[in-house]
Amino acid sequence: MKRALVVQLTRFGDLVQTKRLILTLMGRGLEVHLCIDRSLKDLAEILYPNCIIHALIAHGTGISGNGISSALPVNYKVFQTLKNINFEYIYNLNFSPMNYMLSSLFDPAKVIGHKRVNGQPVRSPWIDLGFRIATERRNNINIVDYWAALSPEMIPASEVNPLATPKGGGIGVVMAGRESRRSLPIDVLAPLILAARSVNKNKKIFLLGSEAERDTGEKLLAKFPPSIAKDVENLVGKTGWKDLSKTVSNLDLLMTPDTGTMHLATHLGTPILGFFLSSAWCFETGPYGEGHTILQADFDCSPCVESQPCYNDLKCLEPFKEQSMARFIATRKPDHLPQGLSVFESTCDFLGTQYVLKAGQDITSERRARLRNFIGCHLGILDIGEYGPFPKLAEKFYKEKDWITGSRL
Amino acid sequence: MKDNILNSKKNLRILVVLPLYGGSLPVGRFCVAALKEMGHLVETFEAPEFYNAYNALDNLKVTSDRHQYLQNSFLQVLSQAVLAKTETFEPDMILSMAQAPLTHQALKRLKRDKVVTAMWFVEDFRLFTYWQSFAPFYDIFAVIQKDHFFDKLKEIGVNNTLYLPLAAHPDFHHPLNIGVIDSRKYGADVSFMGAGYPNRRMAFRKLIHHGLKIWGSEWEGDHVLDKYIQLGGRRVSSEECVKIFNATKINLNLHSSINTDELVSGGDFINPRTFELAACGAFQLVDRRSLMSEAFSEGELAHFNNLEDLDEKISYFLAHPDKRDLYAKKGRQRVLADHTYVIRMQTLIDFAMEKIAGWPKERTSEKLFTPDFPEELKSDVINLIEKLGLPLNVSFEDLVSSIRQQQGELNPLDTAILFLDEWKKIYKR
Repeated sequence: MKRALVVQLTRFGDLVQTKRLILTLMGRGLEVHLCIDRSLKDLAEILYPNCIIHALIAHGTGISGNGISSALPVNYKVFQTLKNINFEYIYNLNFSPMNYMLSSLFDPAKVIGHKRVNGQPVRSPWIDLGFRIATERRNNINIVDYWAALSPEMIPASEVNPLATPKGGGIGVVMAGRESRRSLPIDVLAPLILAARSVNKNKKIFLLGSEAERDTGEKLLAKFPPSIAKDVENLVGKTGWKDLSKTVSNLDLLMTPDTGTMHLATHLGTPILGFFLSSAWCFETGPYGEGHTILQADFDCSPCVESQPCYNDLKCLEPFKEQSMARFIATRKPDHLPQGLSVFESTCDFLGTQYVLKAGQDITSERRARLRNFIGCHLGILDIGEYGPFPKLAEKFYKEKDWITGSRL
Repeated sequence: MKDNILNSKKNLRILVVLPLYGGSLPVGRFCVAALKEMGHLVETFEAPEFYNAYNALDNLKVTSDRHQYLQNSFLQVLSQAVLAKTETFEPDMILSMAQAPLTHQALKRLKRDKVVTAMWFVEDFRLFTYWQSFAPFYDIFAVIQKDHFFDKLKEIGVNNTLYLPLAAHPDFHHPLNIGVIDSRKYGADVSFMGAGYPNRRMAFRKLIHHGLKIWGSEWEGDHVLDKYIQLGGRRVSSEECVKIFNATKINLNLHSSINTDELVSGGDFINPRTFELAACGAFQLVDRRSLMSEAFSEGELAHFNNLEDLDEKISYFLAHPDKRDLYAKKGRQRVLADHTYVIRMQTLIDFAMEKIAGWPKERTSEKLFTPDFPEELKSDVINLIEKLGLPLNVSFEDLVSSIRQQQGELNPLDTAILFLDEWKKIYKR
């Protein structure tokens, strides 16, 4: 059996979002190995029970010192193992110097994605194109599809995750993502939770989050009247990967910003009510699969850049604070939707997961649709004879070197 | 001296910028080899790899101004490539050989960024006069000529000038046991290896009765010498030179001159062949140069003063192999003691230390073998250090730089160390 190695060295969410690529490779009859940070090993085994996991130290959390006595021996061992396996393909997914160095282990001809060729970092043509498309963030494609498209014969998007279906176990609430600006403060969040609970049959609420958000969980709990607090189970900082998966898999709804737990819920087919604001943009990293709902803040500055400060007083948070917001959550009626928000529902198309406008506005939808067709033709999913050509997009996104030195790409 | 140099603890990072082609190219390669032997980390800008593309511009049949523009643009790209390499490698010094593709603009940029640049100008300043334009942009300008050139450089504001004669690289230039086949091909009673300069053409026409073999290029159009030219007058590789030197009883070494009036020009600089022949333990008859007496003592080189003298000495030394051997032995000893590229590179480094305040800048370096270094990895890491030719007390940073220079697929330990380096940078450890 031929083997493929997928190197995914980033975080929780990214690991889940690698699913379409992994399933595609399995669909091609390959034995799939997965190289990840060791903190995610248990999760990887839950997500991908048919993959062979290689866990190294790529993250800094929990490692003290300069790594010589910790990371070096662990990683050396992992690299010895990987070197001894005859991989047909190595999918190296992250634009990180560590990934480039890791690729040095292999024949560059076998490495797809990010690789180092005689010391020179080089990106696969699709990654290069992806970087260019990403400059137009409003119309970007889902990162799940971006990674999956590194392989031919992508499995249909609708087969990646189960259709989102309420499971009857109550509502889950994820405290915060890694970036606080992308999450709703507890004062804003609390009434929205109550609104969602009011229309849900099972009144239980599960607070979810990491150890770092334990305090936030306590504060949120204190916001609820005792009659409701009795139905709240505060699991913030208390769940391992197994417990988290079990809890999330039973929920009717998961209310969450753009988080790893959100992606885990999509993997389990649990419906999402996603709050996307600040630098979070559902077209890039929204929940994957059919039947999820996203409340997307849409301003002239959306989506912003995570690493840059906000000069607009976090105006994209304002609509979530409006009184009518809770009514919208309860009724889902567009009339109650505050200005500045758009509601999208996830669905699957020829390219991957797409988001269909249900309320609010989507001013670049036409261009996005055209860009998706352009990408579809580029990947050979659509027939350019029927859907193309796209001279303006091609001029923008294809560079001279693609055309001139294409044979070497 | 060599042992002291090799034991020197200061490991520098040096970027050697080779020329696109020409006589200083092999010199540059010997500098690279010597610096590596000294334990320094060396990166090479391989300009010759771009030479064919540059030459292809000559076949365009475009207007002259367009042609010039394209050539300049191409050289700008090469210069930018050197700057990019500098940014990544962070050298303590850029050592350029004569004709290195560094533009004025790039040299200004390097100066602004406080990157120390040195040029080893291994050309005759009277013939190759472009130095006037470029010398002021280098921090150090090393030359193979002395007094008059120093004055001229001073006139244009170049103060850090260093007399750095050419040399030999004993790992390459050494005595060889020449087999029967090579002996037939490369051997001769009397040989000359070099380009067909006018003074040589004039001289050798009168020496053909010695069964002269002439090696090297630029001998076209000489009906008398035609049948003595070897290998069709093509360029002879450095490897072939060593075979020729070793297989020849008397190697003629006549310094070039464009002047046909005087066979022996009596110039100043010593050509590389003088050192290379001596290092090979080969016998040479060489014309006197004004800078020779400080490089070699009497009895270390056999000289000639004019054509008649040369003709007579050829006959004499052909008849006296023992005398030839004595010169060859002494000449080799002198070169090994004083005229190797390792010694030249150390002279250059010492000069830089003396003239450039604060050079080389201290680098923050991390000891590799700290007390908590994992025991189980020690022997593998020591093997790696030895394989890379690094000292055992190498810092983590220098080990990483050395691994980075390796080509092709790396082994797990190399990869783990490079990976750790990036991990440390990301998490600031």
